[in-house]
Amino acid sequence: MKKKKVKSSAGSKVFTVLNSLFMIAFIVITLYPVLNTVAISFNDGIDAVRGGIYLWPRKFAIKNYQTVLAMENLITGAKVTVARTVIGTVSSVIANALLAYVVSRKRFIFKSQLSLFWVITMYVNGGMIPVFMLYRNLGLTGSFWVYVIPGMIGAWNMLVMRTYMLGLPDSLEESAQLDGAGYMTIFTKIISPLCKPVYATVVLFVAVGQWNSWFDAMLYNRMKTEYTTLQYELMKLLSSVMQQSGNAAAASERGSAAAAVTPITVRSAATVVTMLPIICLYPFLQRYFITGLTIGGVKE
Amino acid sequence: MKKKAATLFLASVMVLSALAGCGKEVTDSNAGGDAGANNSVADAGEITDFTMFITMPGSEINSDNEIAQLIGEKWGVRIKETWLTGQTASEATGTLIAGGEYPDFIDSDDMSLLVDAGALIPLDDYIDQYPEFKEKWFTEEEWEKFRQPDGHIYWINPFGNTKGESTVTTHNDEAFWIQARVLEWAGYPQIETMDEYFKVIEDYIAANPTMEDGTPNIAYTILCEDWRYFCLENAGQFLGGYPNDGSVLVDKDTLTIEDYNTSEDTIQYFRKLNEEYNKGFVDPESFTQTYDEYIAKLSTGRVLGMVDQWWNFAYTVNDVFKQQGLDAMGCNYVPLGLTTEAGMENRWHTYDDTVNQASGVAITVDCKDPDKAFKFIVDCAMDQELHDLRFWGVKDVDYSVDENGLYYRTDEQRMNWSDTSYQASHRCQYSYMPQWGGTSDDGINANKPEEQPSEFQLDMAQPLKDCFAAYGADNYVDMIGSVVETNGPWFPMYSYSNNFTTETPGGVAWAKMGEIKHEYLPKVVMAADFDAAWAEYMEAYNACKPEDFLAEMQAILDTFK
Amino acid sequence: MDQGAVKVKRDKKITWKEIKRQKTLLIISFFVVIYGIIFYYWPLTGWIMAFQNYKPAKGILGSEFVGLDKFKFLFEDATFLRVIRNTFCMGALNLLTTTVMAILFAVLLNEIRSSVAKKTVQTISYLPHFLSWIIVAGILHDALSSTGIVNDLLLRANIIDQAINFFAYPRYFWPIVAFANCWKETGWNAIIYLAAITAIDPSLYEAASIDGAGRLQKIRHITLPGIKPTIMILLLMNIGNVLNAGFEVQYILGNGLVKSVSDTIDIYVLKWGISQNDFSLGTAAGIFKSAVSIALIVIGNQLAKRAGEERLF
Repeated sequence: MKKKKVKSSAGSKVFTVLNSLFMIAFIVITLYPVLNTVAISFNDGIDAVRGGIYLWPRKFAIKNYQTVLAMENLITGAKVTVARTVIGTVSSVIANALLAYVVSRKRFIFKSQLSLFWVITMYVNGGMIPVFMLYRNLGLTGSFWVYVIPGMIGAWNMLVMRTYMLGLPDSLEESAQLDGAGYMTIFTKIISPLCKPVYATVVLFVAVGQWNSWFDAMLYNRMKTEYTTLQYELMKLLSSVMQQSGNAAAASERGSAAAAVTPITVRSAATVVTMLPIICLYPFLQRYFITGLTIGGVKE
Repeated sequence: MKKKAATLFLASVMVLSALAGCGKEVTDSNAGGDAGANNSVADAGEITDFTMFITMPGSEINSDNEIAQLIGEKWGVRIKETWLTGQTASEATGTLIAGGEYPDFIDSDDMSLLVDAGALIPLDDYIDQYPEFKEKWFTEEEWEKFRQPDGHIYWINPFGNTKGESTVTTHNDEAFWIQARVLEWAGYPQIETMDEYFKVIEDYIAANPTMEDGTPNIAYTILCEDWRYFCLENAGQFLGGYPNDGSVLVDKDTLTIEDYNTSEDTIQYFRKLNEEYNKGFVDPESFTQTYDEYIAKLSTGRVLGMVDQWWNFAYTVNDVFKQQGLDAMGCNYVPLGLTTEAGMENRWHTYDDTVNQASGVAITVDCKDPDKAFKFIVDCAMDQELHDLRFWGVKDVDYSVDENGLYYRTDEQRMNWSDTSYQASHRCQYSYMPQWGGTSDDGINANKPEEQPSEFQLDMAQPLKDCFAAYGADNYVDMIGSVVETNGPWFPMYSYSNNFTTETPGGVAWAKMGEIKHEYLPKVVMAADFDAAWAEYMEAYNACKPEDFLAEMQAILDTFK
Repeated sequence: MDQGAVKVKRDKKITWKEIKRQKTLLIISFFVVIYGIIFYYWPLTGWIMAFQNYKPAKGILGSEFVGLDKFKFLFEDATFLRVIRNTFCMGALNLLTTTVMAILFAVLLNEIRSSVAKKTVQTISYLPHFLSWIIVAGILHDALSSTGIVNDLLLRANIIDQAINFFAYPRYFWPIVAFANCWKETGWNAIIYLAAITAIDPSLYEAASIDGAGRLQKIRHITLPGIKPTIMILLLMNIGNVLNAGFEVQYILGNGLVKSVSDTIDIYVLKWGISQNDFSLGTAAGIFKSAVSIALIVIGNQLAKRAGEERLF
C-alpha cells in the first residue's frame, strides 16, 4: 500500500511536469501569432515586408493605425456593427430561449416533431439565389434588418438551450403549475433566471457571429454604405491598400494610394482594431459560458 | 454582486452606444439630405445621387468629397462608386445577378451575363440623341462592335480614346521589365532574347546579392493570382512577335486562329522559365503570392525583373519608389521588347487606341433616372472642363496655369495629388467613366497630367533618364521599340473570349482551359523534368477540348473576312 | 427519464383539455414554425432550378426544364469527383483532429491544480476563436511564408537548409487546414467538454483515489466515460457537417498549385454556379451536398441508437 502510493506520486509528478509543458507550448502557439500581429501593426510597412519581426516592432510607426482609422466609412461601420450586435443578440437569445423552452416541456404534444423540424434546417439549404429572392421580396435587402431577422432562430443555439433546460429539475415546473402559474410565467419567473449561464453562452455565440460577419453586408447592402459593417469595411480596406487601376485591357489612369503602408502592416492594424472590443468583452462573460455550455441529445 | 454590476454596466454601455449610434445616423443622413437640397437649388437643378459598381478593386472616395461636390453642383450628378471586395470579378457579377438588384451604373468584365439576365437597358436611342458624342467617341465600325446579338448596344467602353495629338510616354502594356540599376551595372547592353535577359540578371545578382540595406535581391518573380496570371501565361504570344490578342494568335495573312498555348514560342518560354527555376533564379513564392504580396514585394525594390502589364504595377510601385528614394537608386522598371530570336519584330506595344468591346460602363434597369445618367456619361466625354476637374483637379489648388496656358504643378501639388487621404477627401476621377488620352481641347495641355511631357520629365529620376539616354530613347515607348503598325479590325480577340459563357461548348472549354492552365503552368515551371511535365500538362489541356474554343474564335474572326 | 415522458405522451390521448392547457406553447410553436417555413423551408423551392436551365431573366417559372442533365454533367466532371474527395477528406480530418485536440486539452486542463493557472490558460485558449477566418488565414499565410516564423525556426534548428514554400505543395495543404482549425477552435470547443467534466460526480474520483488509481487511470476510467455522451452527441451533430467543412480557409489559402487538393464543393459551386452564372449547376451540387449530409446524419443517428448512445432525434 505504502509503496504503491510513493510510485503513484512520482508518476503524478512526471505527469504534472509534462502537462505543464504541454500547456506552455499551447499558450505560446496560441499567443505568438497574435502578439506578432500586434508588433507588425506598429512597424513601418515597407520595412515589414523584409520579415524578421517577432514580438517587437523594428521600425516603429503608427501610420498603419492612422490609415485604418482615417476611413470615414469605418465609423459608420462600427456603429452599425454595434447596433446589429446588440439588437441581433438580444432578439436572437429571446427567440431561441422561447423555442428551447417549448421543446423542452416534457408534456408538450409536438415536442419531438418541432425539434426535428429545426434539426433538419441545420443540414439543408436552398442555396444563395432563392434566399436572395426571398429577402428581396420581404424587403430585407438594402435594410438594416437583414442582419437581424433571418438569423434570429438557429437550430444549434436552440439545441444548446434545450439541453440546459432539460437538465433543470421537473419539480420546478410542476410546483409552479400547482400554484397556478401559466407557461409564460414559468418561463419568465422560474426557468429564465436559472438559465442565465446558458443565455450568456448563446449571447456570446451570437455576438461573436454578428461582430465578425461581413458577407451579408456585401451581399445585401453593397450599395448602401449607411448599413456597412466594420468587418466589411476592413475587407475593403485590405483590398484597396494597394489599389490599382486596371481594366485588363484598357489603359486607365489612376493615381495610387500607396504610402509607407503595405497590406501586411495594414492588415495587422486592422486585425488589432477589430479584435480589441471582443477581446475586452469575453473575459466578462467567461464565467457564464463555462458552466452554460452543455449539449445533449435524447436517449431512450 | 460586484461582477453583476460590471456586467450590467457593460450591457448598458453597449445599448447606449448603440442608441447613440442610431440616433446620430438619423441626424447625419438628414443633414446630408438638407445640404444636398440646398446646393441643388444653386445650379443645374437637383443633384441626383447615382450608385456605380465596378468589378475591380479600388478606393472609395468620401461622401463629402470636394470635387465630387463641385461636379454635382455643376452637372447635377454625384456618383457613389463601390469597388470589388473579397470576391473575384465574376463572382461579384454573379452575385449581383443572383440577387437581381443592381446599382445605377455598372462596369463589369462579364457584361454578356448581365445582358442575359436582363439587367441592362439598351443605349441605342440615348446614343442617337447625342450625335456629336456618337461621332466623336467611336467610329461607326467601333460602335458596331458593341452591338449585341439582339441588335442593341448596352455599354460604352470608357478607355483607350485619344483626342488631338497622342502624347503617350508610357508603355501601358505588357513587357519583360528590368530595373534600371541592372542595365546600368551591365553597361546598358542590347537585350533581345530571354537568354540575354536572364544572363544579365544572373550576373547582376551574383555580383550584388543584396541591396544597399542588406535586403536580398530577388532575380525574377511571377504573379499568377486569379485573372492576373497573364504575367505567367501569355508571354509566348509576344515572344513569337504577335500583338496582344490575349487569348489566341491571329495569322494576318490567312486570317486563321492559332493557339499560342501550344506554340513553339510558348514551349520555349516555359522551358527557359523552368531552367531558371531549377537554377534558383525564379522567386519560389511566385505561384503562391497574392496580388497584394506581389505589389508589396516589388515596392521594396528588391525584385530585378518580371513580366507584367504597366497598369498592373507601375502606378503604385513607382509612387512608393519615389517616397522611399528607391527611384534614385535605379529601382524603376524599364520595358524590354524580347522575342524568341534576336532581330525579330516585336509587337509588345499597342499604338492604336484599343477598343475593348468586352466591357464598359452600362446603365441598369434599376437606374432611377436613365436620361440623366446617360447625359452624365456624355458630359464626361464631351465637357473639357469636367474632364480637367476629374484629372487635373481644381485650378490654382491642384495645378496652376502659366502665361502660355500650360498647366503645371508644384512639388507640393504633386505630392498632395498622390496622397491617400487627399484622394479620398478631394480628388474625384470617376475613373470608369469616359475619358480621353492625348491633348485637351485647348491644344496645349494633355488630358491627363501624366501624359504632359513637362510633367513626365519632371517626374523621372536620374537613373531612369540615364538609362533612356543610353538607349537613345525619350520615353518608355521608344525603349520597347515595337514596330509601328495598325492592328486588324478584330483586334483584340480577347475582347470576344472575355464574353464567352458556359452556354456554348467553346465557352465551357475556355473556362476549363483557364482552370487547367492555372494548375499546370506553375507545375511545369517547377518541374524537375520539363518534358514529362509538359506532356502531362498537354494531356490535361487537350482533355478540355480547346478545339471547341478555337473553332468559335475562328467563327468570330471569319466575320472580318 | 425522458423515456417516461415519452410514454406518458403516447399513452395519453391528445385531449382538448390538454391542448387548451398548452395554448401558450402552441401559439409560440405556431409562430416559430411560420418563421422556420419562411426562412428555412421556403428557399428549398429553389431546388427546382437544379432540374432547369435556369435563366435569371426568365425566373424559376419561365425557365426551361432539362431533367437530370445538370446532375449528369456533375458526375461526368472529373473535377467534381475530385472536389467531393477533397471536401470529404478535409472535413473528416478536421473533425477528427479538432475533436481529439479539444478533448485532450479539456482533460489536461482539468488536471491543473492551480485555479489561477487554469483560468489564465483557458482565457488565452479561446482568443483565436474570436478572430474571423480572413484574419486567421492571413496570420497563417504570414507564419508559413518563406520569411515567416515556421521556416525561421526550422532553419535555425537546422532541420531544413532552405525555406519551404508550404503553400506550393499539395501534400501540406490538408494538414495546414487541419492545423488552422485546431488553432482557432481547440480552446473554444474544449469549453463544452470542460463543462461536462465539471458535471462528473466528485465522489467518483475520491473513491478511485482510495482504490489507489493514478491520474492517468482516473482520466481513463472516470473522466473519459463521464464525457462520453457529450463526445457522442457532438460527433453526431458534426458528422452531418463534414461536407460543410470548407470554404473560407481553402478559398483564401488555395492557389493554382494546390487546386487539386484545395478546391471544395462550395468553391466549385462558387466557380461554376456564381462566376459562370450556371445557377442550375450550382444548385444541383448544393442538393447533392444536402443529401449526403442528411444520409450521414441519419446513419450516424441510427448507429448511435443501436449502440444505446445519446442521439439527436
